[in-house]
Amino acid sequence: MSSFDPQKITEIHRHLHSHLPPEPALRVKAIESLLVEKGLVDPKAVDTWIEAYTEDIGPKRGAQIVARAWLDADFKALLMKDATAAVNDMGLQGQATGHLHAVENTDAVHNLVVCTLCSCYPFGILGMAPAWYKAAEYRARSVRDPRGVLTEFGVTLGDKVAVKVWDSTAELRYMVVPQRPAGTDGWDQEALAKLVTRNSMIGTDRDLSKGVA
Amino acid sequence: MDGVHDLGGKQGFGRIDRDHEDDPYHGDHDARAYGLSVSLRAERPYPIDWFRHVRELIDPIDYLTRPYFDSWLQTSLALAIDRGVLELAEVTGHKAPGPNTGDAKPLTPEDVRKIVVTPPNFERPTDVAPGFSVGGTVITAAQGHSGHTRLPAYARNTKGVIHAHHGAHPLPDAEARGEDVIEHLYTVEFRAADLFPEVTNSDVIYLDLWESYLAAA
Repeated sequence: MSSFDPQKITEIHRHLHSHLPPEPALRVKAIESLLVEKGLVDPKAVDTWIEAYTEDIGPKRGAQIVARAWLDADFKALLMKDATAAVNDMGLQGQATGHLHAVENTDAVHNLVVCTLCSCYPFGILGMAPAWYKAAEYRARSVRDPRGVLTEFGVTLGDKVAVKVWDSTAELRYMVVPQRPAGTDGWDQEALAKLVTRNSMIGTDRDLSKGVA
Repeated sequence: MDGVHDLGGKQGFGRIDRDHEDDPYHGDHDARAYGLSVSLRAERPYPIDWFRHVRELIDPIDYLTRPYFDSWLQTSLALAIDRGVLELAEVTGHKAPGPNTGDAKPLTPEDVRKIVVTPPNFERPTDVAPGFSVGGTVITAAQGHSGHTRLPAYARNTKGVIHAHHGAHPLPDAEARGEDVIEHLYTVEFRAADLFPEVTNSDVIYLDLWESYLAAA
């Protein structure tokens, strides 16, 4: 049984801090040896987790969802109403897509997603979160100074564009639907999906026309 | 709890470092730390908010400075030690590892392939009617508490408007104490200017908050 005792956990953390190798690579190696020797972890299962988010699951999934929404008005209506159903419809369900919400950028609105309390992220459709998304700087600043954060990412918004920040504090996960750039009439889903950057689905990228030329 | 994990709105943080932003992992050991952490944790699933609370309880300096998946791995170890799956002395090297005495078998690659395409559903049925409706004005709790909670400090004691209702979900504060309490969950819209004194524009911030974090205003 878990104790649910914070004081006991603090003590365990203190011991782990003092007795495990301070260098991260050595620490991970020591822990893996122990867990495998004790029969708690199958190293092939560890490989499978790593490969799933290296080869198979990544932002290309989210890009396909966005590109289809740009082309198919019915699909877009479903995505905006029930993004989990839309993802299931494409057979792209995965971890953290069970309560997915899509929020749409327009000429007057820019959306930005963060998790200030930990690092919640829709990794079933966007893959592993970039290191900056999990870093203290982004988590601290994006609710307080989203426009400053966006400027660092090269996104400058006029005063007429409202910023909406989504702090993922529950099991809901958010994905931004960026605007379809001009000059892409007649493009198919594959070509459109190549324009959609991972950062544009988090909200730290906005203008996707740079890929059109 | 008022820990260093509650980062929203904290000041003094500088530029965002975008190195390696397209790599899924920060090197091989980061990838191993991820795979080990989730393997150990999924062998006997723990309540998600107990996991979060145990991570929040990492030494503050370590929390802010160690690699991300390193903190996941330490959290998984602490969960397993707390539950008796593993002995602290085995991890610290004071005792040779004994046999796996648990009843659960380690996760296989097939188990993992299933988990990565199976999203859990957290919504739970309730007979209790929601206390708030979309468009209603609410005010958040003025104070936190020393346990786990998902009301960030920056959003305490602030008026907002109910933007959406999502049915009922387990209350994280109770889950991290080993209790099962089901409450209605809402997305609440706040004016950034009501949250932070220096903001003068009309930007808004949305948070997903449970019924007991809120009162009618």
